[in-house]
Amino acid sequence: MRNFSQLLMVAAMIFTCNINSHAQTADEIIEKHITAIGGLENWEKVTSVKITGSMNFSGVEIPITITTLQKKGQRVEYTVNGMTGYQLLTTTGGWGYTPFAGQTKPEAVAPEKVKESQDDLDIQGPLIDYKAKGNQVTFLGKDQVDGTECYKLKVVCAGGKEKTMFIDAANYYHIRTVEKSKANGKEEEDISNYGNFRKLPEGIVFAMSVDEGEGPATYKTVEINKPIDETIFKPSETKK
Amino acid sequence: MKKLLFLFAAFLIAGNVFTQTKINSYTFGAMEARWLGPGTMSGRITAIAGVNADSKTLYVGTAGGGVWKSTNAGASFKPIFDKYCMSIGAIAVDQATPSTVFVGSGESNMRNTVSIGEGLYKSADAGDNWVKVGLDSTEHIAKIIIDPKNPKNIYVAAPGPLWCDSKHRGLYKSTDGGDTWNKIFYINEKTGCADIAVDPADPNTVYATTWEFRRFPYAFNSGGNGSGMWKSMDGGKTWKELKNGLPPKPFGRIALTLAPSAPQNMIAIVEAKETGLYISSDGGETWKSQSATTNVVSRPFYFSCLVIDPKEPKRVYRPGYGFSYSDDGGYSFTDASYDGGWVHSDHHALWINPNYTNQMYLGTDGGVYFSLDRGATWMFVYNLPVGQFYHVAVDNNNPYRMYGGLQDNGSWMAPSAAPGGVNNSSWLDMYGGDGFWVQPDLMDNNIAFAESQGGNMARIDLTTFKSVDITPQAGKDDEKLRWNWNTPIVTGQANRRNLYTAAQYLYKSVDQGRTWQKISPDLTTNDKKKQQQEESGGLSEDNTSAENHCTIFTLAESALDENLIWVGTDDGNLQVVTDGGKSWMNVSKNYEAAGIPAQTWVSSIEPSRYSKNTAYVTFDNHMYGDMNTYLAKTTDGGKTWKRIISDEFTGYAHKIKEDCYNKDLLFLGTERGLFASVDGGETWFRMKNHIPDYSMVRDIQIQPQTSDLLIATHGRGIMVVNDISPMRMISKEVADKDVVLLDSKTMMLTTGKYGGGGSPVSGGWYGGNPDYIEPIEYYLKDRATKDVKLEIYDDKGKLVQSVPGTKRKGVNKVFWNQRMTPPKTATGSTKMDYGGFIAPMVLPGTYTVKLKIGDREYTNKLILKHDKGNTLFSESDREEQYTAALELYHMHEQLAALVDKINAEQKLIKENMDSVKKGSTKKLLKEYNAKLEELRSTLLATKHKSMFADEKKLRENLTEVYAAICGQESRPTNLQSGRIGVLNDDLKKGESTYEKLAAEYSAKVQQTIKEEKAKVAKSVPANNSN
Repeated sequence: MRNFSQLLMVAAMIFTCNINSHAQTADEIIEKHITAIGGLENWEKVTSVKITGSMNFSGVEIPITITTLQKKGQRVEYTVNGMTGYQLLTTTGGWGYTPFAGQTKPEAVAPEKVKESQDDLDIQGPLIDYKAKGNQVTFLGKDQVDGTECYKLKVVCAGGKEKTMFIDAANYYHIRTVEKSKANGKEEEDISNYGNFRKLPEGIVFAMSVDEGEGPATYKTVEINKPIDETIFKPSETKK
Repeated sequence: MKKLLFLFAAFLIAGNVFTQTKINSYTFGAMEARWLGPGTMSGRITAIAGVNADSKTLYVGTAGGGVWKSTNAGASFKPIFDKYCMSIGAIAVDQATPSTVFVGSGESNMRNTVSIGEGLYKSADAGDNWVKVGLDSTEHIAKIIIDPKNPKNIYVAAPGPLWCDSKHRGLYKSTDGGDTWNKIFYINEKTGCADIAVDPADPNTVYATTWEFRRFPYAFNSGGNGSGMWKSMDGGKTWKELKNGLPPKPFGRIALTLAPSAPQNMIAIVEAKETGLYISSDGGETWKSQSATTNVVSRPFYFSCLVIDPKEPKRVYRPGYGFSYSDDGGYSFTDASYDGGWVHSDHHALWINPNYTNQMYLGTDGGVYFSLDRGATWMFVYNLPVGQFYHVAVDNNNPYRMYGGLQDNGSWMAPSAAPGGVNNSSWLDMYGGDGFWVQPDLMDNNIAFAESQGGNMARIDLTTFKSVDITPQAGKDDEKLRWNWNTPIVTGQANRRNLYTAAQYLYKSVDQGRTWQKISPDLTTNDKKKQQQEESGGLSEDNTSAENHCTIFTLAESALDENLIWVGTDDGNLQVVTDGGKSWMNVSKNYEAAGIPAQTWVSSIEPSRYSKNTAYVTFDNHMYGDMNTYLAKTTDGGKTWKRIISDEFTGYAHKIKEDCYNKDLLFLGTERGLFASVDGGETWFRMKNHIPDYSMVRDIQIQPQTSDLLIATHGRGIMVVNDISPMRMISKEVADKDVVLLDSKTMMLTTGKYGGGGSPVSGGWYGGNPDYIEPIEYYLKDRATKDVKLEIYDDKGKLVQSVPGTKRKGVNKVFWNQRMTPPKTATGSTKMDYGGFIAPMVLPGTYTVKLKIGDREYTNKLILKHDKGNTLFSESDREEQYTAALELYHMHEQLAALVDKINAEQKLIKENMDSVKKGSTKKLLKEYNAKLEELRSTLLATKHKSMFADEKKLRENLTEVYAAICGQESRPTNLQSGRIGVLNDDLKKGESTYEKLAAEYSAKVQQTIKEEKAKVAKSVPANNSN
């Protein structure tokens, strides 16, 4: 009899858990997400990230390096057929250089696009300390990402960029972002899928693969808080 | 406590043990439908709303394709309402906060085939997300108006249900931005609210029109005592009827609008015994009769759109049967010209840019048009694939051709694949009128049969589209033939030569409709009370064959026996014959015993191809106000029926389809969705495979050679899910496994079926092509959180290529391009060379696929075969091609190795040039570098950067011939083969030159640099050595 009542208790606990899971708020989901990816304290320490990896196009590995200094600059560098191109973003400007596409010198990014892209310089992601950063988050309920049940969060970043983030309801990992940009009179939507989550020595969990629909990027190394020479954010054809 | 924890764990484990993985559309999620359009002929548009602030954001509501949004004034559109009801009645944008948008579902152009809605929706983020805010049972919404001075006040005109009485009609108002709603004006259960207008200067002044109307399966009535025109001066609290100057009642439908720039000026088209246009200049208190042109008075129940220019009160637009405009307040009208191309008739929506009133968008039964000259001329918007198909058929060509008829837009055909992909130009208009059934003659590739409304049918020569009328005519003792709006024309399943059509009698032809034989008596109930169509319409006569009744609606010949024929009628008869047409048996009482209402419209019949006694039938009772999904199965030739029920089902049923290879795989199409069962109908799931959740699925076909699933939607054109064979493979047992690498079919080696210039499609709707190679497929019970990749090995165990895998839950499809890993090509050039992205196609043989997920591996065999169907490319051609390609592949890698050596030597020189002090050493380094550079510049492009400046050296020359040989399905030409030898000589020469240079300089240079470094080190004082 006692066992039966214990069983009922267990059932009640499970039932309660289910009820709670339906009544989650954006803050609760964000808190669980941040816990799942290593905790607020560890993420708040992240001030720079340097990623090396590659993208695969029909069997060809394109090396990529992404270097980001929190709220200061980002350099995305890729090497094709021995030629290196890049995209730069700083708080004041942006440049793109793709020599393999016939560009002979870096080309400036339109100011409105630079302004709209400032939110991309937040390497911690928009959910870490989101209120302090001025980001607004709305919980839109549950939705499916290719059959995986997710919490759907709409994030309007302080800089104006709108992101819909999908948090896997089973493990609270962030598995998809749908990002909308409107700069220069064009409304565009980009989808990024995240996977291959790995815990780094710094205690944070990092997605080691990102697929933006043009061939997935697979990361090999992620260095956290290594010194970054800020001159890499300046345009130069030969800068590496 | 320990025990409790143990129990807790056991409970959870038990839960997992007994939880079976549910098979649903996500199980097959990677099987995404292609939307093939057409966009060249679109579908009925019911609402258009724009954002005044930017003049370029448009929302377009459709009769059966949901809501489409453009942010570039119509250059491109995307669907934004695909999780909800596809039938749209009205759209409104809050111009004060344009991210707030309301969509009223349920079109209110109350024709026979109009669909139903399920309420009102609101988006607070410009259409990204939607929330239903009420009015669930209104079924049809005609207009939404937001108070321009206080956007919390919103009015919704709901005509209400078409097929039954209802209390859910009337004028609704929200005073809290849409959160809650009150019905503020209601006449009776037969009368709804058809139109509203709010005075922008004094928003408490509200005008409304009420409309009494009703449809039956066999008749329509517009008009009655409930219809009227009304005015409120207190925001809808009290109302008075407006009559002064209007024609005598009863009224039918009234379209009403006011001039935004002078709101006391109003116009209305009043359906009455003498329908006409009326104007008022005193806020509706008095009215004066104006014009009664054909375009003003035509079909008031269907054409209820009337618009006054935002700035000029006398400029009136009447989108109706045609498009006409007036500059004198509606006294006289001018018709639009066709100088910009033909404008489809039947107009229902118009949005005028208030900032530039020359610019306007028109919604018709054939899509959206835009004008830049105030409606005088129009241009078509070719990128909205919202055509309303009734049926789809396929033939057995390769690629197969698709055929189907569109509501108000004729009959069309297109290939399932085409050079450059299926696009607007792929679709050909083969027959006119409203289109319904189109049947290709599978015995004669140049013939198809098509029809227009009311049973007018023809045999069509597909080489010219010339047609011959083959409509059966009434014989001496026949009653007047009763043809359904959507008359069946069906070819035999067992005997492809058989062609059937039906009025109330069934007809059969075995000579393409040249001679017909009547093979049945009247198979309907022949209820004369339901045959008064000439009286249909109400105040305005309207008898276009849409209400024809007591007709045969569907029929099917068994694939197992040509003498076994099923017939279903629109008045509930289900008849079967087993002797080719002599002894008919009416089994309608038998299906009634299974719980399906009597007199229900029989919408489709699917005789099983696995048992003669088995058949599936769908029934549609919505015309009596019953929206339930009716599907039944017999296994004893119709004697008894079992109703198939599922909680998943929504919408009245149109079509049941049994797979041609797996008897347990079934598809059901309803007014609100596509459903599938993989267990013979025991359980069902909604298919969401890039298919809108509530698609109106009118017909379903499976093309047997390709296993493609074709869906005829009534609002989103034809959709094709390529190759549904995974649905035949995934059983419940398979679905319970964590990972399954599915058995690969034997793959044909191919570069694809088509070539072409590769120019991007310049506008219009693009449906693309099916994947030209077979995918490698694997099933994941859950989304992978680890890295996923596929490795292909040859029969010697050598890695051929590594391909990134996808991680989605369910079936994943990954495409290996049937090629090796591309070669490493020479680097250090001023330009990119694309040779490094090209690889030889592998040879036929048995390969091994390794699926790697994290540290787990799954292995399968993969057989590649030469495509013997390609008679221009023999297996020996392939071998020669491979040998040549491989030779060039190796030459590229040899050249890369050579250039690497040069690059390394030059790097050494560069790194030391500044540090060496001795003049002779500097000279030596410069000399060696110059000679290396001289050699390097013969091996790859080193001078020009611009993409517009060619510079061909050995690397580029290699790529030229390498790309040509790898990219084609052909034996190399004699000169291509010869060229390999020439280039190989160049490579050898380069290698030789380098060897000589290296022999002469390399050791010397390295030694000299070493000596200089040693000297420098020696000269540094010891105390500085740290």
